[in-house]
Amino acid sequence: MRLGESAKMQAAINITPLVDVVLVLLIIFMVMAPQMRKGPDVNLPNTAKPSDQGDERGRILVSIDDVGKLWINDQQIAPEQFGDALRAAAGTETDPRVVIRGDAKLNFRQVREAMIAVKEAGFGGVGLIAQRAGAQGE
Amino acid sequence: MQFNRDDSGLSLQSEINITPLVDVVLVLLIIFMVVVPLLMQGYDVDIPRASAVVVPAQAVESQLILRIEPTECPILEPPSGEGLPADCRVTLNDAKIPASELSARVAQTLGGRPPEQRLLFLAADDRLNYEGVLRIIDLAKSGVEDLKIEFIATR
Repeated sequence: MRLGESAKMQAAINITPLVDVVLVLLIIFMVMAPQMRKGPDVNLPNTAKPSDQGDERGRILVSIDDVGKLWINDQQIAPEQFGDALRAAAGTETDPRVVIRGDAKLNFRQVREAMIAVKEAGFGGVGLIAQRAGAQGE
Repeated sequence: MQFNRDDSGLSLQSEINITPLVDVVLVLLIIFMVVVPLLMQGYDVDIPRASAVVVPAQAVESQLILRIEPTECPILEPPSGEGLPADCRVTLNDAKIPASELSARVAQTLGGRPPEQRLLFLAADDRLNYEGVLRIIDLAKSGVEDLKIEFIATR
């Protein structure tokens, strides 16, 4: 074991830059995550114990923004085209699930009309999306 | 990075092993990338077609109807803070009860039934604030697991 001192010092890879990059990526994703949602920004209602509605993928997102405009996924839809657009969004999927993201400031009437429109387009129940009170995000 | 010591055995231990730290951070990164933007929480509800608000005859005896009127529960604007206003009263079948008792009453009435019969009909006034209505749904659901909620038209 007559290795020189300098050779021993280079034996470990310096992973500090790697950790830096990974931490920065982590922070970027934590900050960007809420903005990656489909649809418009909606100030969701705060409630105490909303149940799990699972994953956004495979759902049809109907959003109603604070001025009452209807959106399906990323597109704003005129009320008279709503049914057709909803069926088009469902495509050939069997048993598609519709969730409604309504703004907290809306009247119940605006949400009820959207629910009736979803029902009349031929879909079953809907999920009303809320946000657990005190949770961050959106 | 390393201290020059005469004893080469000691100098080998002078660096912290950060490989587990990197592992943990990478896993956290993957979790945030995949899961966080896509999870949603909310309430499952049913709504009958506007034209056919007919309740099956055999259910009439045992049905539970919750009515929310703006004159009794003043939630025309988004409720401030958490919960509902203290003077919020709702009508469960024909009994007017404070909203704070709603959870216990629903549990008392529906808790003993088989899960498929735990059904609450909800008639909420159009003028009410959506967030307020959702908070009342939240109260009703907190008393009974698997409570099904169906919206019906107000008279």
